[in-house]
Amino acid sequence: MRSFPFTADVYFSLFETYNSAIWPAQLVAYGLGILALVLALRPRAAGGRIALAVLSIFWLWNGIAYHLLHFLQINFAAPAFAALFVLQGVLFAGYVVGGRSIFRFRTDVFGWSGLLFCLFALAAYPLLGWLAGHGWPRAGVFGVAPTPTTIFTFGMLLMLEGGAPLYLFAIPVLWSLAGGSAAVFILRIPEDVSLLVAGVVGPCMLVWKFAKNRSELRNTSHLKNTR
Amino acid sequence: MKNLTRRAFVGSMTGFGATTALPAFGQGPTSGAILKKAIPSTGEQIPAIGLGTWITFNVGNDERLRAARAQVMQTFFDRGGSLIDSSPMYGSSEAVIGYGLARIKNKATLFSAGKVWIVLKTLGVNQMEASRNYWGIERFDLMQVHNLLDWSTHVETLKEMKAQGRVRYIGITTSQGWRHGGLEQIMRTQPIDFVAFSYNVIDREVEERLLPLAAERGIAVIVNRPFQEGVLIERMMHHPLPPWAGEIDCANWAQFLLKFIVSHPAVTCVIPATRRVDHMEENMGAMRGRLPDAKMRRRMARYAENV
Repeated sequence: MRSFPFTADVYFSLFETYNSAIWPAQLVAYGLGILALVLALRPRAAGGRIALAVLSIFWLWNGIAYHLLHFLQINFAAPAFAALFVLQGVLFAGYVVGGRSIFRFRTDVFGWSGLLFCLFALAAYPLLGWLAGHGWPRAGVFGVAPTPTTIFTFGMLLMLEGGAPLYLFAIPVLWSLAGGSAAVFILRIPEDVSLLVAGVVGPCMLVWKFAKNRSELRNTSHLKNTR
Repeated sequence: MKNLTRRAFVGSMTGFGATTALPAFGQGPTSGAILKKAIPSTGEQIPAIGLGTWITFNVGNDERLRAARAQVMQTFFDRGGSLIDSSPMYGSSEAVIGYGLARIKNKATLFSAGKVWIVLKTLGVNQMEASRNYWGIERFDLMQVHNLLDWSTHVETLKEMKAQGRVRYIGITTSQGWRHGGLEQIMRTQPIDFVAFSYNVIDREVEERLLPLAAERGIAVIVNRPFQEGVLIERMMHHPLPPWAGEIDCANWAQFLLKFIVSHPAVTCVIPATRRVDHMEENMGAMRGRLPDAKMRRRMARYAENV
């Protein structure tokens, strides 16, 4: 399929302009991302709220600064993407207000997978991009570009205590499949295969974790009642 | 192609010069008169090869890429081009055209073809004004409703604009075959000057109804996607040109494909898009030299289908 409004060359050129315009926001994003991950590895009071606030900031930033103020130059669909990203940011902010959030790394399949997703977004994604010829500044950077931000989001949600409700990861799934398909199959960006993989594996594991948690809660409740 | 007589074929080539130059290998003829075709509603003649900007001109604010596109535009005008087509749907393409027009020479022949692609009259008027500013022109020569979006609203606006002299011609476009039924209805009922749709040596469905209808109603035809967005030319380039391509002065596949299109009597202009100067030179070469007649067109179609 060729009916796509821009080429990969133009896409990475846009990142070059964008990265230059927002510098040093990338450093701040890395700092916030590492903070959120540390708060999941070593949970503290209000740590969950801070981590969710970080995710909220990432998604709001991507919606407004990336999609609306930059990506719109080359893609007429950018306002729709911006709306979805802002909505996701609002959902995270709402979850913060709800006060239900604790991120905790556990040594189970969900914890290790979550950690892997996060480390991939922080370190492996830029490395793969560099190897594919898309190094700084012609690259999507963690926290301020959609692909690594989405992968990181799946990772963090896998470490959310009690599991994440569907509405909290529906938009990341949509973006992973739509944006990932376009990046891989039309623009031929090899490192973005990871976004497609995250968009399939991430939600499967999140649903599994959510269901497992519900089942455990029911069993616990049943045991209490029988005693 | 149906119903194309030699007489109709010759009659449609009103602006085609009698002299042709021998082709230089790989380029095709570089001198002699260029092929122009008449806009039926006024008789005004425009060069048969225009410039499309979908994808190729959407380069954002990248100065290097913008300068490269300006060079493509310069080559287009230097080789006798006139009609440039764009749309608000094409991202930064309109701004890149404006960038180029502000920097190149020899552009007095510009025939600006814009589009409106939005719902509601007010938004449409605002969008057309924004497009005009992007291009940096006083008025559009042609304003078209893109992909039939809210066409009944915009056609009324365009009629008013034309009556006020704010646009010279009005039209409707689509690049999607499933809209051809709706397009046909509009062509039958609305006083439009131009219509645009896809046509190439493989996708020839429009020869059945739309092209004859355009000729019957006196509507100029702009052909988009002549190379199937590059797919067709990539497929062809792995094969040699047939030896008989020299009989119609084709030195490369681009000219083969474009001459097939512009030789249809109902076609006014075809708008291939390119980001490369050498490809632009090849495209513009299709406006020179001999054109295929009806028999040769059938031969070209058969050959292309078997490649």
